[in-house]
Amino acid sequence: MTAARFEFHSPGSLAEALDVLAGGGNAVVLAGGTDLVPKLRKGTLRPDAVVSLARVAELRGIAFDPAAGLSIGAMARHAEVLEHADVRKHYPALAEALSQLATVQVRNMGTIAGNLCNASPCADSAPVLLALDARLAIAGPAGNRELELSEFFRGPGRTALAPGELVTAIRAPAPRAHAGCAFRSISARSRVDMSAVSAAARIGVEGGRIAEARIVLGAVAPVPLRALSAEKILRGRSPEPGLLAEAGQAAAEESRPVSDVRASAAWRRKMVAVLVARAVAQAFERAGR
Amino acid sequence: MSDFSVIGKRVPRVDAREKATGAARYTDDLSLPGMLHGRLLRSPVAHARIAAIDTSRARALPGVAAVITGEDLPFVKYGNWRLVPATQDETALARGRVRFIGEEVAAVAAADRDTAEEALALIRVEYEDLPAVFDVDAAMAEGAPALHEETPGNVSVTRKIAFGDVDGELARCDYVREDTFELPAVSPAYLEPCASLAVADGQGRITLTTSTQTPYIVQCLLASALGLRENEVRVVKPALGGGFGGKMELRPWDVCAAFLARRLGRPVKFTLTREEELVAGRRRHAVRIWSRVGFSRDGVLRAKDCRAALDGGAYNSMGPTATFLIGNFGAFLYRFPAYRYEGLHVYTNKAPAGAMRGLGAPQALFVTESQMNMAAEDLGLDPIELRLKNAMRAGDRIPDIATVSTCAFSECLEDVARASDWKNKRSAAGGSGRGVGIGCYSFITGGVFNWFDTQYPFSAAEVRAHADGTVHLLTMAADIGQGSDTVLAQILAEELGIAVNDVTLTTADTAMTPPADVGTWGSRVTLMAGNAVLAAAKQIKEELFKMVSLKYGLNVIHEMECRDGAVRAKGRPDRAIPFGEAVGMWQKANRGEPLVGRGSYTPRDMGLVTPTFSFGAQVVEVEIDRDTGRVRVEKVHTSHDCGRVLNPMAVEGQVEGCIQMGLGYALTEELVTREGRTLTASFLDYKMPGALDMPECVLSSIEAPEPRGPFGAKETGEGPVSPTAPAIADAVWHATGVRCRSLPITPEKILDGRDAIERDLNKIRRVTKGTNTKR
Repeated sequence: MTAARFEFHSPGSLAEALDVLAGGGNAVVLAGGTDLVPKLRKGTLRPDAVVSLARVAELRGIAFDPAAGLSIGAMARHAEVLEHADVRKHYPALAEALSQLATVQVRNMGTIAGNLCNASPCADSAPVLLALDARLAIAGPAGNRELELSEFFRGPGRTALAPGELVTAIRAPAPRAHAGCAFRSISARSRVDMSAVSAAARIGVEGGRIAEARIVLGAVAPVPLRALSAEKILRGRSPEPGLLAEAGQAAAEESRPVSDVRASAAWRRKMVAVLVARAVAQAFERAGR
Repeated sequence: MSDFSVIGKRVPRVDAREKATGAARYTDDLSLPGMLHGRLLRSPVAHARIAAIDTSRARALPGVAAVITGEDLPFVKYGNWRLVPATQDETALARGRVRFIGEEVAAVAAADRDTAEEALALIRVEYEDLPAVFDVDAAMAEGAPALHEETPGNVSVTRKIAFGDVDGELARCDYVREDTFELPAVSPAYLEPCASLAVADGQGRITLTTSTQTPYIVQCLLASALGLRENEVRVVKPALGGGFGGKMELRPWDVCAAFLARRLGRPVKFTLTREEELVAGRRRHAVRIWSRVGFSRDGVLRAKDCRAALDGGAYNSMGPTATFLIGNFGAFLYRFPAYRYEGLHVYTNKAPAGAMRGLGAPQALFVTESQMNMAAEDLGLDPIELRLKNAMRAGDRIPDIATVSTCAFSECLEDVARASDWKNKRSAAGGSGRGVGIGCYSFITGGVFNWFDTQYPFSAAEVRAHADGTVHLLTMAADIGQGSDTVLAQILAEELGIAVNDVTLTTADTAMTPPADVGTWGSRVTLMAGNAVLAAAKQIKEELFKMVSLKYGLNVIHEMECRDGAVRAKGRPDRAIPFGEAVGMWQKANRGEPLVGRGSYTPRDMGLVTPTFSFGAQVVEVEIDRDTGRVRVEKVHTSHDCGRVLNPMAVEGQVEGCIQMGLGYALTEELVTREGRTLTASFLDYKMPGALDMPECVLSSIEAPEPRGPFGAKETGEGPVSPTAPAIADAVWHATGVRCRSLPITPEKILDGRDAIERDLNKIRRVTKGTNTKR
């Protein structure tokens, strides 16, 4: 296919960017470009206009406040986030997930907001952020709004963004006491690969027992998937191996993987069980510290 | 005798600086005034008659200089097996019929790449679908559609090797095992996609700069494809980003670039994309091999009977060689008193397989080595002991085909056992998730059989010695990244007693270097081009000895040497003339003529296969995640016999590169197709191991100098690609109890295999329990 031809805009402010996007037509937003540029080159995406956010200063930066939590600007690169001292200290699972994402080059260019907006079922940043109860700040022609990340994904490549809207920041609540989060992924290759399956777990502990559990699975359904029955099994119990296996099994049954060239559905399902058990064990250990 | 100044030393590559700084120029880096960009239209269907092609809209697009189809080109079928014209079955662009998805149908030359791409979208091709076959069974089935009318039944090549009384021996064996193995197609995945740039002069003569391993083959076949005389085509090889066998033929973009450059009078360049390479590029043959092998009770091999069906794809390419070599290497590593092989090369509606590192050996040796490991288990013998009982030795023969000239295979086995602490590690309880395994190999050092039907020497060299102390080496040998320029410079420097940086190189240019060299394949360059360089250097030496012997009254046969930059009396540095000065003396005595030596090499009386074989043994250590089935290869010990090591760094690089490829073949790589459509069309889905996946590699060289090789060298670039997959398969068995007879060994196969073992054990437990109750 031939490469796309389009108008290129590089607005200097968020307001200007929103104006360009409101101009109608089918415009796309360019952040890091790691997903978008290959699609433009191949011509699988053929927009009328490309709106670069490179010059929009409001979208940069990462802020952490012990009370308000973490705010990641839409133009923050994966590498900036995973190297950020507060992220490493308070959200280690997020740093881990990002450090395994793609390649050094992609991590230096790509953004978390872009990774989420691309809405791939195997996006490595999504499960942890969902487990952390992250929210998205969205700006658009009708003003600003906040949306639970769990409401954001609508299907492969489809999100809740309305025409003319863009994500301006990703917000995660302040770290809770006696809680821990962990991320596990697996692919055919040990490094530099897309996840065939991933799992994130957040565990809150009270008196040695699991008081709160969030389990989110990647690459096993059209959107990142919350494993509710696994969460239910965990609540109120202490994580001995039998329970971890039981929760893993429950998550595996809830998952809806497909067979493709990267892995079969049957293996993906088995991996859900393994990764959930491992992620929960580590999250529990972190909660105890 | 290892008293060398340059040979055996860790000499850095002569092109290291250009490669490391990015200054090296590859074909796609080149740009010429007025140059046009070419793109190829490829078939979207697996098998169809082309009813019509309409290029009018593409031709009308502004910026498009020309659009051509198969009907525009001279109708000449080409292929590497020039000796057997019936095997030559390809044309640059499809004529009337397409046989695989990705086959080249039309070519466009335009002002820029995007315009060329747009023009492709405007070409209308009417395809009338034909029934297609996607595997060897379907292709050989009764009533299957014939891909080529001349080949009903779709078996394009049959090769047989047989010696000894196979049936009688097998009948007398105490232990016989029979297995069927399925091996996948994999990509050579050179990092530089194919590219070529053609320029025509005023008389229509062509200079083609192309990413090739075989400038001479491309020169000859391109000339025939365009109806030119051979020397009206000049082929130049610039820096190459690897080839691994995938760039040793004339390819459609070479023909289209040259044809369009002649027609338009402007330079034309084609560069392929990775997707094109993975969808339509050459690949290692997928093959099914059935093998029955018999032993006596004490583990002595008696006979082997095997058959192979190679999935050749739509054209022959290097398939005839692969079909033979699978049979040759099936008879290898061990002494088979009786052996029978039948190999079939089968056309299917998929991209043609060709040559790839190890051509035939990785498949044949996966079978041999897996069966040795399984037999050792059944016979209760240590796999290394079993191998030592049967290992090939110098002087062993494959009747009428090959003789093993030198062989340190047994020494390699003993060495790798020691180095890897094999006995202790192997006797450690299996099933722990950790395992060790063994695989061995052999490979040819260049081919003897003249399938290209060249009238020239297989390798040639010219050496010009100058009075300033430098020498200029001219050879058509092609450095494709393997380092032959460096090794040839070392060979020349050693022989003439000068330094490597005294040597200037002009290589792989068919107009400038002496004809000919059949190219870089079959691990032939060090031995064949090396011998040609030595022969040329010896002529120079002889002339210089004459000069210097007169001055000091020395016997040219016994008393002289070239060493430390001088031509001198042996061991008498005081009776010496500096090399350049000696050249100057020679010129004064010869009317100022330049001092030129010429040498060539063509093997003779060395059977059908090769002058000499490398051998080696490899032990791998793995750790397996028992829950996920993921294999981590931690350490690889290789002991090898590559004759004398000319440059340890080059040898280590080759062995480690081989291990990387073996690792992918074993665990992650496969070109997956469904109904002829490639599902692994990018590096995201075609999974090559990366640097971070590499295990620790430990190498030890058992130096057994080969009299036929320059300074005793044999091959090292391809042999070590074979052992890693069977060694990993064996280590997986050691760690988990699961034997894999197909590649790649995915986590899924390991988990499924373990589940199957578990079920069997439960069955046995139930039965045993029942028995106990009865008692």
